[in-house]
Amino acid sequence: MTTGYVPILILAAMAGAFAVLSLAASALLRPKHPLPAKSAPYECGIEPIRLPQSERFPVKFYVVAMLFIIFDIETIFLFPWAVAFRSLGLFGLVEMIVFIGLVFVAYVYVWQKGGLEWEKPEQARRELSARFVPLPPSVERSPGDRITREPAAVESGAG
Amino acid sequence: MSVQEITFVIIAVIGGVSAVRMVTSRNVVHAALYLVVTLAMVGAVYLVVAAEFLAWVQVLIYVGAIVVLLLFSLMLTKAPIGRDTLDNQQRGLAALVGMGVLAGLAFLIQDSFGGSKPITLHQATTEQVGVTLFRGFVWPFEVVSVLLLAALVGAVVIARKDDPAGSRRGPDRRAPLRRGSEATRR
Amino acid sequence: MLSVLGQVSGGPAVAHGKLLFRPIGPELILVGVALAVMLLDAGYPERHHATLALLSLAGLAAAAAYSLSLWSWTGPTTVLGGMVAADRFTVFFRLVILGVAALAVLLSYQYLERADEVRGEYYPLLLFATAGMTLITAAADLIVVFLALEVLSLSLYLLTGFSFRRLASAEASMKYFLLGAFSSAFFLYGIALAYGATGTTNLAGIAHGLTGQVGPLSLALAASGLLAVGFGFKVAAVPFHMWAPDAYQGAPTCVTAFMSAGTKVAAFAAFLRVFDVAFSPLIWDWKPFVWILAALTMVVGSVLAIAQSDVKRMLAYSSVAHAGFILVGVTAASHAGIQAAMFYLAVYPAMILGAFGVVMVVSGRGERGLTLSSYAGLARRSPLVAAVLALLLLSLAGIPPTAGFIAKVAVFTAAIQSGHWPLALVGVLASVVAAFFYLRVIVLMYMQEPVIAGGQREAETGFDAEPGAVGSLGFVAIAVPALLTLIFGVFPGILFGVLKSASIIRF
Repeated sequence: MTTGYVPILILAAMAGAFAVLSLAASALLRPKHPLPAKSAPYECGIEPIRLPQSERFPVKFYVVAMLFIIFDIETIFLFPWAVAFRSLGLFGLVEMIVFIGLVFVAYVYVWQKGGLEWEKPEQARRELSARFVPLPPSVERSPGDRITREPAAVESGAG
Repeated sequence: MSVQEITFVIIAVIGGVSAVRMVTSRNVVHAALYLVVTLAMVGAVYLVVAAEFLAWVQVLIYVGAIVVLLLFSLMLTKAPIGRDTLDNQQRGLAALVGMGVLAGLAFLIQDSFGGSKPITLHQATTEQVGVTLFRGFVWPFEVVSVLLLAALVGAVVIARKDDPAGSRRGPDRRAPLRRGSEATRR
Repeated sequence: MLSVLGQVSGGPAVAHGKLLFRPIGPELILVGVALAVMLLDAGYPERHHATLALLSLAGLAAAAAYSLSLWSWTGPTTVLGGMVAADRFTVFFRLVILGVAALAVLLSYQYLERADEVRGEYYPLLLFATAGMTLITAAADLIVVFLALEVLSLSLYLLTGFSFRRLASAEASMKYFLLGAFSSAFFLYGIALAYGATGTTNLAGIAHGLTGQVGPLSLALAASGLLAVGFGFKVAAVPFHMWAPDAYQGAPTCVTAFMSAGTKVAAFAAFLRVFDVAFSPLIWDWKPFVWILAALTMVVGSVLAIAQSDVKRMLAYSSVAHAGFILVGVTAASHAGIQAAMFYLAVYPAMILGAFGVVMVVSGRGERGLTLSSYAGLARRSPLVAAVLALLLLSLAGIPPTAGFIAKVAVFTAAIQSGHWPLALVGVLASVVAAFFYLRVIVLMYMQEPVIAGGQREAETGFDAEPGAVGSLGFVAIAVPALLTLIFGVFPGILFGVLKSASIIRF
């Protein structure tokens, strides 16, 4: 086992202890007034009109994550190459140039194909207006939602 | 027990418990977070056996990227995020298969390495990994870049399912997509 | 059985000057052309389908010519640090795969034009898949086998889902991907265990490590088992065949033609090399396993094919059954067995690619007209296409004047010579069962009236009686395989002459 990791271990232990201690301290010291409003989702002070339950994230996030993994793997290969660079010499350089060249072509391709574009403004506006339709009154909320604030609770919860 | 063995036991217990929690947790996001712990512990095991580079690969690729991808895909597929949403009717069978695999592997390792003398660890430095990789495994390394290339093209294919002609300009390149929130709302 | 030459290396001790790149020339050409096609597509996004297809064809032709030049390679048997084999075995399979890919490009051009699904990513993916396939035939190290397998699988998952507007295509892609990833895990674990058993992933090194071993062999046995499962998935042998019917049915038909022929050839080439080289010391241990696999595959594939009413599904099950026949040759594990399996692997792609090609030509835009009943009276509507299909089906069934017959005879003879006569018997029975559903299609084409009235039928199948409607490219793509099955059926000596030296696996 590498002893070089002992400082990291100590640091990790300190970070963990700090988190645990802070939470424990606040749990012990704070006043306890549990209210439904406190567990409601916070939306900049506005009453939340809907839960993100039925929302689907745009596929673009996923594409970014996919591209990230691919380039992440490329970077991983750079790491041992850089460490062993001196002993590998010119041959290692050529190898890595070929490797990076291939992935670079892919990068150019993705770029050209618009894989890195997020979306056009007018398109974003269209999608946004399509997405945010207020809930019709007929829509029932499930009992567990608890997103409406009872006025009384809000008032008394001010303390 | 040596320090190394004690460390291993601690790591293995944490990893094992979170692995069990991962499959028993009913909230998919919690399951994904337990997966992070399990994968990180696997990385820690690599550290214990002095495979330093592998440990960081484990952390960077698996903990850093794969789990993020997993979480994105959870959000993408509209998997219900919340309590009591995850259940599988075949858990008995799955448990049986899991136990079988465990027993098989335990037997295999015991049978192959059980009687042999203890292995002395050699610290595998990143430099050694680099030299081996870029001298002996030149060709596999370059094939990996082809694999990544194919994967990137695949990402383009999957992401741009809505522009058939391959044209990337013009306002009407996207077919109007039906948003799931519209179609499936009660 | 095998000429044991070459260095048992695998370690990192490779001097720079000794790297010989010539034996991987075909793959370099394929990847280079794929890059060119990608950049052309990215740089000029307007319609240029013919250019992309022509460029791909030129690349395949160049790679084939280069492979042919490697036939007379006299350098070391493995290059690049024992990673790549340079033998005639590889050249043979490379040529088969490149031929398959070239015909698939012809089919694809017509398919994509007709279905209006022309997108620039198609040809690079096809070329990547082809490069993966040719690479796997040359892989002399399990790491390279795995990477090549991944390159070809990844490209094929995407090609399977290429017709994204059809839900079936996306579903097929998903199923193929999930089960393919599952099988890759098996394969990778097998590699890990093989490394654990012998300390190397090099095929020759594994064989060397296993020969003199006295200790417990459980690790090596488990490794061979897991690798066999991985290969079983890729060739769609029976307990691992579940993905094949769905993937073959849902994929665009041109992709089905390509992968049913190409993947099987590539995976079997690697199967032969891995099991007859690396695990040859354990031959008596893996033989029973492959024996059972072969028997199950032949029987289940043939029987289930009868129950199908969809032509693509029927051919998918038939391709499963054919994997079983090829496995009979693998089980024999003699020189004759390898030769027979290789003959089969040269003939089978032609038959199945041609058959799927005809299905593609006959089915309309959007993959309609795939039921067996839409083949009723095809002979009257388009005698030439019907004749081609009849010939290919006869060959698939293994009826005498065709290559399919010779292939089956060779495989069964090899099995009997190695003392596996019960397996040969199972094979003959399965062939009899299989003949039923092939002949049923022929009977439908020649002896029945079209079920639906004229105008309506044409609307449904999207295929009218004019021979010109087949398309000249599509016709070439189905006529060439048909001709080949006839030529190799009448003059099998040509192929066997080539196989005499090609079936020696060097390592």
